[in-house]
Amino acid sequence: MSSPQPSPPQQGTSGKAKFNVYTIEECPACGQKTKRAFQVGDYITKDGANCSKCGNATKITLIYAEPVVKAK
Amino acid sequence: MPALTNMSLQFGNNVSSLLNIVWLLSFFVFIVYGQRIQVYIVGNDISRALNKLKLMKDRSRKEAVDYFNGTGKASGDPTTRIDEFLEYVTIMPVDLDPQGIVGKIEHITETRDERVRSEVRKMLPSAEPIKVSVAENILEIASSLNMIHKIVRHYYLLGKKTNSYILLVQLQMIMPQVLMEADALINAVDTFKLGQPVGDGIGPIIASKYMLTAPKQVVAKDTVMTVSEYKGRTLYVLKAEGPMGYVGEPGVAIQRVIEEMNVPLNAIIMVDAALKLEGEKTGDVAEGIGAAIGGIGTDKFRIEEVSSKHKVPVYAILVKQSILEAITVMRKEITDASDRVHTLIGNLIEEKTKEGDKVLLAGIGNTLGVGQ
Repeated sequence: MSSPQPSPPQQGTSGKAKFNVYTIEECPACGQKTKRAFQVGDYITKDGANCSKCGNATKITLIYAEPVVKAK
Repeated sequence: MPALTNMSLQFGNNVSSLLNIVWLLSFFVFIVYGQRIQVYIVGNDISRALNKLKLMKDRSRKEAVDYFNGTGKASGDPTTRIDEFLEYVTIMPVDLDPQGIVGKIEHITETRDERVRSEVRKMLPSAEPIKVSVAENILEIASSLNMIHKIVRHYYLLGKKTNSYILLVQLQMIMPQVLMEADALINAVDTFKLGQPVGDGIGPIIASKYMLTAPKQVVAKDTVMTVSEYKGRTLYVLKAEGPMGYVGEPGVAIQRVIEEMNVPLNAIIMVDAALKLEGEKTGDVAEGIGAAIGGIGTDKFRIEEVSSKHKVPVYAILVKQSILEAITVMRKEITDASDRVHTLIGNLIEEKTKEGDKVLLAGIGNTLGVGQ
């Protein structure tokens, strides 16, 4: 999985915890996964951007939230 | 000096007598007014919780109005209609003679769902289906919070009116759970507004992986199915139609596959989110037997009826999560369970069926943000 882009804006809350929501785009040809910030309109199985490795069209395979890690 | 000693002794006696009187008086007060004092203390506690519920209820209503006005571009002012909708009631059928009650409940809930959807469509005539479904979900949340607030307020006021300590203390005991559920509901609004998958969507996410390349067909209201080949078996995969926030009618769909399409199924595998018990980890996976589906019970009834009639074994795979996690944005711990679920599905198919068999896989749950 490629490295995440710079920390996205606050995009989700669950109870008192704050979350960043990410979209994972996967290339069906070479298996390359790209993690980026969730954008409104994203949904699982939607076509994503072209693969950065082989240029094929990717698909969104996952959308999930991770807790915001506070920088010390 | 002896006079001073006498005076201090007398003063000491007076203080002691005074304390005795205060003690006796407080004893008397607690005997006579003890319950009223407890009612007052418990009442204050509930009143604070009720205020929190009111804030949540008002916020959800405002979110609904804003969604209809802004994102949904409602025609005209939807506030009055939304307020009317929040007071909408569903009258459940009489259960004195329970035979055939499931059909009646199904009919009533279907009529209600249809009515809600047609009302939302009327208010958002040009909105895309996903926005209509999001609006339906937000209205459902606002309506639930409105109902929770009304019921709690009713028992609070009734308890105060009748000075019923027992009633109030029972209400006070369940308030933390009520607040927890209300908190989960209000937090779900943001997730729904953004169209993000919710924790409950893990079943549809799993199912969607098997549906990507196969042609889709509608088998029941808001429910789609694909037919493909998997390890020499014919695999029927169904889920609610995404990326809208639907749960579909998996019960009707499975019944139709078996009885109308005459597919002799050898196994049904159901994947669903399940509420974890305190102490269990989010994303834990459990296997079991039986129809893994929540809701009011009509879909579960249909699946149990048709599977037992045709002797089709029903296997369940559950992904554990809390109520808050089930209706708010999908957590990574839940998606991390996907690999384990896929392995279990593969094992079940290989171990419980043979080549040439027909297997149905159902991804149960709200499919918001999950296509197919």
